[in-house]
Order: sequence, then structure tokens, then C-alpha cells
Amino acid sequence: MLLLLFCLFPFVQILSTSLKHQADWGNPSLIPAQLNFEAYKELLGFSQQEVELPETIRMMLESPAISEEQRAAIIKKFTSTSDIFPFGRYMLNTFVISMVTAFLSTLIATFAAYALSRLKFRGRNAFSNTVMFVYMVGGVLLMVPLYQMAVSTGLASTVPGTLICLLLIYLVQTLPVAIYMLGNYFRTIPFSLEEAAMIDGYSRTSAIFAVIIPLSRPMLLTVMFYCFVIAWNEYLFASVFLKQYQDFHTLPLALQTLFSSKNAIWDRIMAASMLTLIPVVIAFSVANRFISSGGTAGGVKE
Amino acid sequence: MSDNIAAQEARLGHRLIAPAALIIALLILYPIFFNLYLSFFDVELNGDKSLVGLNNYKTLLSDGGFYSALWTTVIYLAGTVTGTTVLGLAVALLLNQNFPFKNTVRALVLLPYFAPVISVVFGWQFIFDPVNGIYNHVMVEVLGLVSERQNVIGDPDSALWVVIVFDIWKHFPIAFLLILAKLQSIPSDQYEACAIDGYNAWGRFIHVTLPECRFVIGTVVLLRMIWNLNRFEDVYLLAPNVETLPIYIYFQAFTGVIDQGLAAAISVVQLIVLSGLIWFYVKKVLNW
Amino acid sequence: MAKVTIKNLVKAYNDDVIVKGINLEIKDGEFVVLVGPSGCGKSTTLRMIAGLEDINEGEVEIGDRCVNDLQPHMRNIAMVFQNYALYPHKTVRENIIFGLKKTRVSRQIIDERLAHISTMLQLENLLDRKPADLSGGQRQRVAMGRALARDADVYLFDEPLSNLDAKLRHHMRTEIAKIHKRVQTTSIYVTHDQVEAMTLGDRVVVMQAGQIEQVGTPMDIYLNPRNIFVATFIGSPSMNLLSAVYDAQQQVFKINDASVSTELLSQVNTANLKDGDQVKIGIRPDFFDDERFTQDTEDYWQLKNIMVDLVEPLGFDKEISFHIGGQYVKARLDLRSDIQEDDPIDLVVDPNRVLVFDAETGERI
Repeated sequence: MLLLLFCLFPFVQILSTSLKHQADWGNPSLIPAQLNFEAYKELLGFSQQEVELPETIRMMLESPAISEEQRAAIIKKFTSTSDIFPFGRYMLNTFVISMVTAFLSTLIATFAAYALSRLKFRGRNAFSNTVMFVYMVGGVLLMVPLYQMAVSTGLASTVPGTLICLLLIYLVQTLPVAIYMLGNYFRTIPFSLEEAAMIDGYSRTSAIFAVIIPLSRPMLLTVMFYCFVIAWNEYLFASVFLKQYQDFHTLPLALQTLFSSKNAIWDRIMAASMLTLIPVVIAFSVANRFISSGGTAGGVKE
Repeated sequence: MSDNIAAQEARLGHRLIAPAALIIALLILYPIFFNLYLSFFDVELNGDKSLVGLNNYKTLLSDGGFYSALWTTVIYLAGTVTGTTVLGLAVALLLNQNFPFKNTVRALVLLPYFAPVISVVFGWQFIFDPVNGIYNHVMVEVLGLVSERQNVIGDPDSALWVVIVFDIWKHFPIAFLLILAKLQSIPSDQYEACAIDGYNAWGRFIHVTLPECRFVIGTVVLLRMIWNLNRFEDVYLLAPNVETLPIYIYFQAFTGVIDQGLAAAISVVQLIVLSGLIWFYVKKVLNW
Repeated sequence: MAKVTIKNLVKAYNDDVIVKGINLEIKDGEFVVLVGPSGCGKSTTLRMIAGLEDINEGEVEIGDRCVNDLQPHMRNIAMVFQNYALYPHKTVRENIIFGLKKTRVSRQIIDERLAHISTMLQLENLLDRKPADLSGGQRQRVAMGRALARDADVYLFDEPLSNLDAKLRHHMRTEIAKIHKRVQTTSIYVTHDQVEAMTLGDRVVVMQAGQIEQVGTPMDIYLNPRNIFVATFIGSPSMNLLSAVYDAQQQVFKINDASVSTELLSQVNTANLKDGDQVKIGIRPDFFDDERFTQDTEDYWQLKNIMVDLVEPLGFDKEISFHIGGQYVKARLDLRSDIQEDDPIDLVVDPNRVLVFDAETGERI
């Protein structure tokens, strides 16, 4: 019980605060005195409300963690007439880039993992060691060279270029884990199933599509879920690359901005946190169900 | 077709890994060397650079900020690695028993691990909020341990502990998962034999569980060290004032007085340490 | 359908030579069984014919086409795997027509073929099930059906019955024999079970240590094994082997205190034997007869007053154990020989069935 309390308390706290009125925040009770859905409504665009918080700007300028551009962007944001936090838009941005990452990464990883687990070729060990190494080297160590590469190729100065950079970075961050998971899974699929398909007139490549991929569907979904979550969570490179393109901010970046710009509005931040969390929880429960079902039972005699 | 089947297979293999290999080469291997190269330059955000030789490294070694970041990182690593491993082991032992709703509880325990960092950090900040947070309420008003409400996250020293607890909370589930998988593979006759030999529960833990779990615990410890050395988001988003090495690099590279060359130099140092850990992991743990 | 020609086939993994230069010609429509102990290279040979293993040296031809560098899907072959290798995500129906769909034959032909195959293998009621819901015997039949549905040049069988229990295996063996009699396809069948080899093969190829020991019809292999290995591998219970010495003076093979005259064994060519040469005399347990129930035994090898050590009744047959020249021997007699342990018996052997091998090389003399 204590364990569950420890694990789940922050989630309950987020949920509770997101539903509380401002006056209720200081109350340690987790049950809101009165349910308040305003924060959700506002974030999802059902109601609009003007918020004027001049002290925020002052606070911003004192914070050492905020760069010049960000400062300028924030000031601009506050001086502009419309002050709706476009949560839906950020969610869509994040969703799109996470989906694209998850899909492409799983696709590329499927090929690589298949080759690693099934085919003999020169350089196979070198490649698999490299994947292992990359799996453990965090992106944070390479942010300077990656940023400089993006600048010197000119990609960082345009929106599509920036998005491509970000996508590539997300791919390389998700590929190792995807290759690793899929490779292990493919090794559990009996090789004779592919042999049977090849005998039945399917080339090696079409055997992958006709046999391996349908058989791996639960695992592919799980891997996509992993990649999706990694991209959905990513903050560092989003903050480095997307800083000046406010319209293309992803949720982590947007939430951080929201947090530093409208400090007093806990309910909105918590509601936004909740909304960021929900897709992951849904994906988690779906993937969890898929992991336990399915498999290669029955096809071959053990 | 003149190639034999083995050659055809090898060609297909090369074709299939090509996209992944290309991306990894372009975005990891090349940047590693480019990073080394940049560390000898004074680099501007817009890409202008001038050669400064080893100056960045000299600056680094004489910079108090670097040493304090190094020290923070060591404390952070020690705290989180110990915490996640011990808690993971304890929870794995606990949840390896049979009880109602076992699967539901296991899934719920995994939730912190899968939850996006960004969606939980604010919850944690709220808990420690000086005005509204429940932490201060409990500490000051209920238990009376502390005389007045504090801004726990605002102060880098105490924030470090919050960050450590947060990391343990968020990452012990993966330690738990790995250890649980190992526990479930220990054949029950080993415990039975040990029990017949006259050992109580504690003796069985010492003589059966621990030796069997030694490797997986070693794996957990090293992997947590390797990954926490790289950890950025969890720390930065919860308490940017806790300057572990990655955050120090980020500040050097993108905020305040921008010095990307220096940041590159720190990255090189960190990468060397990291490679050492990875080498150790591959050599020792994987070959155990 | 097509013939299959194998020329000097070699397969090695690193320094380990698995198949050491095999030559074999399989005629159009012939059913050939490769048999041998595990590790003899029979499965590897089959997999090289299928294209699942790379060929190091030599050639495989299907029809008149060298298929060495063709991948399996281009060889127009069908195969039944030892573990069946059914696609777990597909129904029985989809499994059976999986290969047919790739050949772009018309929907109508596919349906006809499916109906035909499922009737033949009694799979009509299982077509919509998945492999996980089938019993072992049913899965085996689906695997057969999937291969037979194809219009292949060659049908390959890799120990298809070895995962079935004894009764089912016997049943499926008969089924395969019947099917082959009906469809007359070129088939290559790998097994370690000599009964399957004997009952199914038009010709049997006995392999050992990567080499072919003998190729022949089942009866030829049974009656005229070329060497000790083939003689003892085929037949159950195994052939008795008696160590003997050639005595040129007396024209006999001496088995310690017992002996048999070379004159009696007229089919044995003693021209190349020297006095004192070591030989092995091979007699199958089935070729001992009870003297009382055998006519015209004047030319037979007579074994008088044999003391029976052990009798193992098997129903119609019984196996008895005794000694010839101090060496342990088994014989199989039928119901009529009402013999008790520790009783004497008179036995006879048709000398034409007695085989003599060189003790050193193991070759027939």
C-alpha cells in the first residue's frame, strides 16, 4: 500500500490540483472542495479568457535559465493581443512528430533487426556493437556538434529543415532500443517459418512482409509505443531547435514555457500535465495487453 | 545471377541495415568526432569558430563551476543508483509473492517509468511548492519538524535531494522489472532445498536470492550509472538549478554567455568517462 | 516434375566437413529416402537441394537446370518440415494456399486444389482453425497439405513424422505411401527411421559421416548390404556379427570352437583371403530357422543342440538369445517354436543369407 502511495501519489496530486479552484490550492486535501473543469476547458479551447500577468515578465528576465530569444519570444507573446495558449496545436505538433518518429523508427529498426538476427554478413558484429554503444550514449553529449551541424548545413534556419533535423535526432535516439527489442523478438520466431515461406515461393524480402511482420504485430506495436513515448517526452533537442519557431513547439517545450510564463496558474499546468499523460497511459495499457497476447504458439512443434 | 546464396544473403543484410547504419553514422559517430574537433575552437551559436587549441580544456580545469557540477553529478549518481537498485530489489521481492490484483499492482508500479517527464515534474514541483505544497504542510504544520515553510526546490542543495528522490521514483520500476524477471526464473526447488537444510527466510535470501541476482543487480547498477550520467530532462525540468554535468553543458552551450567550444570540451570529458563505463559493462556484465 | 542430379556435393562449416562429396541421381517421379544416424549429413543435403543452405562445392540440378545460386523461392520445390513450420497467424486454409497464391493461378484452380487436398488429408472440417488449435497429427497433415497443394518439381520431406507418437507415425507413413502411389511426384525424404526408409522408398540412400554408404532398393539394401555399417543400420533387431578367422587349410571360418565351411557359403569369394585373416560373419536374426519346421535343410548351416539363454516373447514372434562359439547371438523364431529358457534347440541357416565382411575395412567379401 505504501508502495502504491509512493508510486501514484504524484499522479493523484496532479489530477486533484488540475480540478481545484485557485482558492483551494493550499488545502492539502486531495479532494477538491469544488470540481473545476475550467482549466481543461480553456486548454482544449472551449472557453477563452484573457490573462494579464505583468509580474511574470519581470520574473522571466531574472531567470538565468532563459535565453535572449526565449525572453524576447515571451515578451512578444505577452504584448500580443491574443493570449490563448494553443494547447491543441502543441498536442497535435507533438502527436505528429511522435507518430512519424515511431513509425519510421520501427520500420527502419525492423529491417536492421531482421538483418542482425537472421542474416550473415560482414560487419554484423561491428554494427551490433555500435547499436549497443549508441543505445547508451545520450543525446545530451552531442547537442553541441549536432546543433553546429544543423547550423552549418543551413537546416536550422528554415522550419522544414529544423523539423527534419529534429526528426532525424529522434530517429537516432529511438533506433537502438527499437533494434534491440525487435532483434530479441525476431530470434524467438522459429527460422523454419521463413524457410517454409521461401520454399513456398516467397523471396527473402517478401517473406519478411508475409510472415515476420504479421507475426510480430504485438511486438511492433510495443516498439512503436516505446518510440512514441521517447519522442513525446523529448525536451532537450526540441528546446534547442524549436526555440524560435513557437508555432511548432512540442508539448514538453510548451508546458515548460507555460510554467515559466504563468506561474500562478497551477490548475492549467496540472490539467496540461494530465492531458500530456493520458495518451501515454492509453498507449501503455494497449501495449501491455498486446504483449501478453499473441505469439508464435502452435506454428511449430517445440 | 553469379553470386552464391551466401553472398546474396550478405547483400540483403547490408541493404537492410543501411538506413539505420547511415543515420547512426551521421548523427552519432560523426558528431562524436566533430565534437572533439569543436572542443579545440571557440564556437559561436551561428557557427563562427576560431581555433583556441587546448584553451577550452584549460578553462575547464580552472573553472569552479565544472568541479561543482562534477561533484553534484557524483552525488546524484550515488544517490539515484543506490536508491533505484535497493528499492527495485525490495519491490521485486515484495511483488514476487502471490496476492490479489497482482497484475494490476505491477502495472501501476510501472506507471512512473512510462509517464512523460514533463507531465509529472510539475506535480512534483507542486508537492514541494512553498505556498501550496503538501510537503511543507506535512513538515511544518503536521509534524512540526521544520519551523517554517521552505522553498525546497529553489535552493540548489535541497533541490538535489528532491531530484534524487524524483529519479528514484521514476526509474526504480525498470530495476524492479529486470530483477523480478530474474527472481521468477529461480527454480523453487533451490529454495526448498535451502529450507530443508535449515535456513530461515533471511538465510534463503542471502544464500539463494542474492547469488542468483548478482548479475542482474550488476547490470542494473551499471546501466543506471550510464543512463543517469546522460540524464538531462528529469533534472533540468524539475530543478534547473541542480547543475549536473549535462545541465552544465546545456547552460554553457545555449544560455547566458554562450561558449559552445567549452561545452564540447565538457562533452568530450564526459564521453570518455561514459565510454569507460560502457566498456566495463560490455566486458564484465555481458560476459559474466 | 523433374529429375534431380547431385554432383560431388560438399558442405563445410569452418573446418567441419558435414557433407563430403555426394553423387546421386533421382529419376523423375521417384521416391528416394535418405537415411542415416543423426549428424550423417542427410538433412544438410536436403537443405542444400532446397536452397536453405549454401553449397560449398559441387552442383545441384533440378530438371536440367543448375540451381546452385538460385534462392529457394526460385527453385519450384515444396517441403514438409520436421517441426511443420505452419504459419501461426494463418488459418489451415490460408496455410495450404499460401504458396499457391504466389504462383498467380486462378481463384478457381486454388479452390479446386484446396478441396482436393483437404479431402485427401481429411482436413475439411479444420480449414478455419489456426495451427494452435490443432493436434500434432492434424498439424502434420496440414504441413503435408501445404506442400502437396503446390505444383512443384520436387517434394522434400525433412523427418516429417519424427514428432508424432508411434501409432500416428505408422498411420501417416501408410498415408504418405498411398499419396505417393497416387500422385507419383519426385520426392526426397529424409529420416533416421529405417522402417520409414524401407517402406516408403523406391530407392534408399544410406548415409554416414557425410558420405553415401549404399544406394539401392529397400530389399537390395536389406539382403545385400555393402558393408557392416549398412548391414547393422538396416533391420531390427540388428544383424548378428560373429568374429571369425579364415583357415585356408581346412577351408573354414573358425568362430572360436565353432566353425562354418567355406564350401557351404558358396556365394562368398574366398580368392583374396589369406590364412588367418580376420572376418565378421553377419546373420540377421530373421534368418535363423527352427530345424523342425524347415524342409530341405541338407545344404543349410546346421547348429545342433544350441542352449537357449533367454526367450523374449513378442506375440507372434519371439526373440531367443544364445551363443555360437562363445559369441552372443539373437534369433527371431515364430509362434511354433515352443522353446523354453535353458532348453536345447536345433537351428538352421540358409547359407545364401550368411554375409561375410572384412573385419578391418568392414566391406563385404
